[in-house]
Amino acid sequence: MLNVLMLGVGQCGNRILDAMNKEAFGGGGASKLAKYYLRPKFPSRVETLAINTAVNDLKELRFTTAKDRLHVPNLHGVGANRNVGKQAFMENRDMIMGEIEKRGDFDIAFVITSTSGGTGSSFSPLLINELKRQYKDIAVITVAILPFREEGSIYLQNAAFSMRELMEVDAEGIILADNQYMKRFSGDIASAYDKINNMIAQRLLFLIESLDSEMLSVTDLGDFKTVMNGGLRIGTMGFYQADSKNLSIRDAIENSLKPGNLLYPANVADDAARAMIIIQGSREHLDVDEITKAVERLSASAGHVFKGIVVKKGRPKILSVFTLASAPELEGIYAQAARAMQDEKEKRTRARKQLDDAFAHIEDLEEIY
Amino acid sequence: MMYNYGVLGMKASSYRLGLICLLLYVLLIGAACAAKSDEEDEDEITFRDFSLNIGDRINLDDYQMELIEIQSLRDGLVVLRVSRVGGSLDEQRALLLDSPNNFDGGAEKGGVTITITDIFDEQSARVRLEYEQKLGTPRKRASDRPAAMPEKPELLVQKSFDRNEMHVGDEVKVTITIRNTGTGTANDIDVQDIPPLPEFTYIAGYPPKIKETLDSGQSDSAVYILNAAREGSVQIPAVVVSYADSKKNSKSNSSEPFSIIIRPKSKADLVINVEDTAPLVLDEEGLLNISISNQGSASATRIEATGEVSPSDGLEIKGLDKSFFEIPPGDAANFSASISGHKRGIYTIRLKVSYDDGDGSVIREATSRAVVLKREYKYQYLLVIIPIIIVSAWIYRRHREYKY
Repeated sequence: MLNVLMLGVGQCGNRILDAMNKEAFGGGGASKLAKYYLRPKFPSRVETLAINTAVNDLKELRFTTAKDRLHVPNLHGVGANRNVGKQAFMENRDMIMGEIEKRGDFDIAFVITSTSGGTGSSFSPLLINELKRQYKDIAVITVAILPFREEGSIYLQNAAFSMRELMEVDAEGIILADNQYMKRFSGDIASAYDKINNMIAQRLLFLIESLDSEMLSVTDLGDFKTVMNGGLRIGTMGFYQADSKNLSIRDAIENSLKPGNLLYPANVADDAARAMIIIQGSREHLDVDEITKAVERLSASAGHVFKGIVVKKGRPKILSVFTLASAPELEGIYAQAARAMQDEKEKRTRARKQLDDAFAHIEDLEEIY
Repeated sequence: MMYNYGVLGMKASSYRLGLICLLLYVLLIGAACAAKSDEEDEDEITFRDFSLNIGDRINLDDYQMELIEIQSLRDGLVVLRVSRVGGSLDEQRALLLDSPNNFDGGAEKGGVTITITDIFDEQSARVRLEYEQKLGTPRKRASDRPAAMPEKPELLVQKSFDRNEMHVGDEVKVTITIRNTGTGTANDIDVQDIPPLPEFTYIAGYPPKIKETLDSGQSDSAVYILNAAREGSVQIPAVVVSYADSKKNSKSNSSEPFSIIIRPKSKADLVINVEDTAPLVLDEEGLLNISISNQGSASATRIEATGEVSPSDGLEIKGLDKSFFEIPPGDAANFSASISGHKRGIYTIRLKVSYDDGDGSVIREATSRAVVLKREYKYQYLLVIIPIIIVSAWIYRRHREYKY
């Protein structure tokens, strides 16, 4: 059985973690009251911990137990200031790591965070370093959420610097999810957030369940780590569940790789470095020839593809995890962030100059009373 | 009126002398008459009464009279001894009451006449002595001998019933006791009990037999048995005992009359008390407490208690049929019967008790009610409350678990 640590850092990470806990109660169909009469049912031994400097963000969680909410005391958040966030982490590092240590040893840790916020973007790189330092054999996967582009220059700036730091740490890889890309799933921002959170939570749990299941065709944590080490060590996930009209497994695999089912905009055929296809469904739907053909087709472009087949009653479900050899969308974000930072800098310089000019009017004057 | 002494001076001295001579003559005549009457007084007969005890004497001149005994109070006979110094007279004679007795010719002839005027008791009597005055004054001399204790029987009679209240049909024991509390023997004792009273039938021992003779201090009693026959208040008349002392003096005494009450014939009266039982639950056992008390005045015998239940099925009773030999008056027989209900409903338990009340067979009945209820599930509400509590506790616990 896998020992899995799920850390939700910052407001975004907390909410995705809460969505995972909700999924553990039975997914989207679970009632809000499910926590009163059900126990969360994770496929493996999963320990969750929501970490935040803003206590109000922690209070908003609904499906995460109180003991799994860790407030790092720093007034009410870090105000999107990563420097303050880093300082807060360092000051509370022992307390944070102590809380994690209480939960035992782990084979894999998922650090779920937004790249743009204050707490998550600043805590996560430092936290990954601490996890790697404290747990020698742990595989750390960062689930990084990219912001809406229109959220503001600070968030873009934070995303840019945070991504760079996440790339620099010794983690097994980063699974990207792009809010901007997934916004299309819903008309309004609030419901988009919920859907994105649920989607990410559902896929992560599917992944954990698959890695810890007896498979017809085996993929395991080692395969997953290999996939995540491929390319830029930045990847994403696709998911597709066949509908009753089309139960073709081949179509389902191909659909899971289509841009519309990915968390991050990527062209699998062009950009994928390594991939893992996990197929789950009733035995009658699992046509191995079809699966093999689909995987071979993917392998032709993605290099190496691990496949895992889990026999479980139901329509076919496909989870595809792949790493990217290139990430042009990231470059766009950095360019946009740089522009925003430049604009911010110019605005600040201009404002400073205006202020200095204003102050110049009274430079030689004394206060007279 | 004024006298003229001057004219009449010579004549007054002669008148005075004549008057003196007249007075002297009268005096002389008177003295002569007085001397003659003295001579006549000495022959005059006088009398004097004396109260004498036995042994007392009266001395008159040469005569000596002594009370010897009271021979018979009833007959009025007193023995008196009269003697004369010199022995010319020494006679002991029984004198009859109120009859003068002459000695030496009686008082008329210079002797004495003695009359017993009263006999006080067997020790004393009043004696009248008549004599000529010339014999002098009689003197009484009390006897130096101690007074002899008289033999005087005194019988006390007592009649008693062994109880003052009884019922018709009850036997009662009558005791007649005669006790001689006197100093002499009572002879010819005869007890006269009133002839049989109509309120009683005489069973045994009547008429009572008492000894004919009872010495001083002795007592005798007789018992006879009656049976009260008629109710009412009965005045029991006195018993009269007659007897005679050693001198054949007849005496009698009687007991005090008293009354007794004869109540109506005593009967047993059984009162049955069957306690209503508390409502029973189906198949639950309960106790039916029964008390048969005798509130009559006689014992009830051959008591048989039998019970029946209506409706006959659905209520089972064990131990309701009982029999007792006797229940004395004021006593009670208590017993319990176990009941168990097998069908819900209201049942009537009828207890019939037959017994002999002393005058015949009597039947008494009493009823009680038993209610058999549907089975009650006492803590049924817990089936609702406990799950609610558990669920509430669980929800609260989970709420606390998720409350931040």
